Amino acid sequence: MDWARIAGATFDATVWLYLSAMVLSFAYLALRRQPLWVVARVLAIGGVATNLLSIVARGVAAHRVPWGNMFEYSTVLAFLVVVGTLVLVEQVAKVKTLTGFSLMFAVLTLAIAATAFRVDPSPLQPALNSYWIKIHVVAAIAGSSLFAIGGIATILFLIKDRSERRALVAVRERPPAIMGGAVDMDAPHDLIPDPEDAVVAPGARRPGILPSAALLDRIAYRAIAFAFPIWTFAVIAGAIWAQDAWGRYWGWDPKETWSFVTWTIFAGYLHARSTAGWRGRKAAWIAVVGFVSLLITYYAVNLWIVGLHSYKLG
Amino acid sequence: MRTALVLLLMLAAGAAIGSLLPQIPNTPERAGRYLMDHQVLGELFYRAGFFDVYGSWWFVLLTTLLFVSLGACLIPRTRALARAARHRPVHARELDGFPHRAVVAVDRPPEVVAAAAERMLRRRRFRVARDGVAVAAEKGTLREAGSLLFHWAFVLLLAGVIVGKGTGFSGYAVVTEGETWVDAMPNYDGRIRTGRYFAGGFTGTELELLDFTATYRPSGVPIDFVSRLRVSDRDGEPLGTVDVRVNHPATIEGLRVFQSGFGWAPVVTAELDGRRVWSSPIQMRRDPVREGVPESAMPWRGAIKLTVPEPDVMVTLELWPDYRAFAAAQLTGRPVPMLVAFDPYIRFSVYEGTILDPARATIAPMGLTLVDRGELRAAGTSSISVPRVGELRLTFPELRRYSELLISRDVGIPLVLAAAILVLVGLLPALSVSRRKVWVRADPGPDGSNVTVAGFALQRKDAFVDEFSRIVSSLDGAAAPAGRRAEHVGTS
Repeated sequence: MDWARIAGATFDATVWLYLSAMVLSFAYLALRRQPLWVVARVLAIGGVATNLLSIVARGVAAHRVPWGNMFEYSTVLAFLVVVGTLVLVEQVAKVKTLTGFSLMFAVLTLAIAATAFRVDPSPLQPALNSYWIKIHVVAAIAGSSLFAIGGIATILFLIKDRSERRALVAVRERPPAIMGGAVDMDAPHDLIPDPEDAVVAPGARRPGILPSAALLDRIAYRAIAFAFPIWTFAVIAGAIWAQDAWGRYWGWDPKETWSFVTWTIFAGYLHARSTAGWRGRKAAWIAVVGFVSLLITYYAVNLWIVGLHSYKLG
Repeated sequence: MRTALVLLLMLAAGAAIGSLLPQIPNTPERAGRYLMDHQVLGELFYRAGFFDVYGSWWFVLLTTLLFVSLGACLIPRTRALARAARHRPVHARELDGFPHRAVVAVDRPPEVVAAAAERMLRRRRFRVARDGVAVAAEKGTLREAGSLLFHWAFVLLLAGVIVGKGTGFSGYAVVTEGETWVDAMPNYDGRIRTGRYFAGGFTGTELELLDFTATYRPSGVPIDFVSRLRVSDRDGEPLGTVDVRVNHPATIEGLRVFQSGFGWAPVVTAELDGRRVWSSPIQMRRDPVREGVPESAMPWRGAIKLTVPEPDVMVTLELWPDYRAFAAAQLTGRPVPMLVAFDPYIRFSVYEGTILDPARATIAPMGLTLVDRGELRAAGTSSISVPRVGELRLTFPELRRYSELLISRDVGIPLVLAAAILVLVGLLPALSVSRRKVWVRADPGPDGSNVTVAGFALQRKDAFVDEFSRIVSSLDGAAAPAGRRAEHVGTS
């Protein structure tokens, strides 16, 4: 059996399945027709299946772990982002809205991989040939995918929060009788009881397609708090591996530097959430910066900054 | 904490700068080129320390301030935790104001209900204090303990880095097959990086390179690079042989030895009028890679400098380990990778004059006059007559490899590793455990007791909703199986 061809075909199928699932998910959000959701769900699960198959086939074709270069890393990253969203966001947090955006992230990740880093399965260079590739890289992909989910939720939080604030301003200008001026408009953001209540007040805009900002914020926090220890572990595992492969555990190689920068920004986010005056939007912006830093850590460092991690082609 | 947060983000921004500009300790030649290309900006960046960010005064200052601020934060928090661990949970005077509150009627006397509540909360692994009919309970101290462990671990990490990097060193040893390298300051190739508190202490250990093997797949992708070393201590007592390969360093007498690079070292002899003036392997350097040419297709260069006769004679050598690649380059201009030695071929040029720089590393014939060119095949001989000096006869008996080994000593590694493990051990409870408090008070009621339960969670508030209602209902059941349904007053 030609595993390399199977890997290629299933990869292409994955892109199309995710893309159509994404379009239908958005259509569902706009139209709220249940059948759209069911079809989107079937396509997304089909995409997860072909994605998994393409990862496995790739590994079989190359006789090694299927995450030895950027193309393969992207394939696994897209897989984990979609699976993470389907399992953690939909099943655990019971939110459907995020799926379309996660699928968009997955489609973009795969499309960039297909156009910029597509390579045939090949063996690993000696420096990568270590059991640490199983530990370090898996942790890095898992952490990245959860950070990505957190980043997506944070961006949606900022959008929703903005519209909620506008709605609150509308309420403040014409206070509804039931509230009796009891809402303290100047209180810190998270002390306002539940903005969802304010939004349905007469004269305000209708709820819109996104869940409440408070819920999005909670999902973002959960995802990032879950990702953070995994990322920490990935950095530590990388340091242990670097000690064996390059003779030092830390050398400010661009990849090390940017994974540290990303780590630091998300550490800042976690602290900001429990610091008065930084909660809410400010903390969310830190998370967005962290998300951008994560993308730099992956794309910019591998492609444009010369370092020991320039593994574009394996 | 706000100060620490700002410092942390500033440190991240500084580190990012360091990855965007070439750093002198890592890539001095690229930093130099940047300085040449950007006169004004380069000068400005240079003064700001942007070409050595991680060693710059402001990076060290930021780190110091961060750790000072961290310490200032951690010491009172640690004391508070120690105090809290010694003290019993505090009773609440008033149970009305808490986010979660329930009132249950139970047909048992208040003391019995309170004792049952105490047992139930202990079973749920709360820390419990009972004062007659009032019960106070709390859970989740591990969160703070984990957070403190996580943060203190960074102090340990810093200590490990300072001790290890401060007293340690790293440098390169270049050993040719069949030769022995001794661990001593002058034997390191190029610059040796030593820590601020480095106190010498080279071991005198002898490393003899028995052989070096590079294996490739048919496609030219390398599989492995291995140096086989025979090790002896400073007195020449043999300690055995070790293999050093990529990803698998060896530990020898407290030194870590890593496979770092390799190259060709042709053995060339030179005779002047029948007198042997040179006979040793020449460790050659590969030409810098050109655009579109694989590294392994580039020829290797080295030089022999003879300062014995007057004037000096210098021979520059260009080695093609695989003659087929040389022929292909000559005929078609197409680069061919040279992975194995096959009919090795040397082109050389002979110069005379005064050698200004006798260092082995410089191979440019500066200020010398070209006498003649020639070529050498393996086991071949070539003769050149050099005016005013005599007849120069070169032979090429053997082609060997050399191995470049990275040698380092870092006694801080166990500390750093321990710190890294503690960081993770502390981080998990710090992020996953939530702190919550519950109070129970049983007052005499019409049928027995009116039990008030109140509580709150500092984290994971939505998960506490369930936990609280389970506590209330199990209290109901624990206290009296026949008790009436709970009347939940407020679980928001």
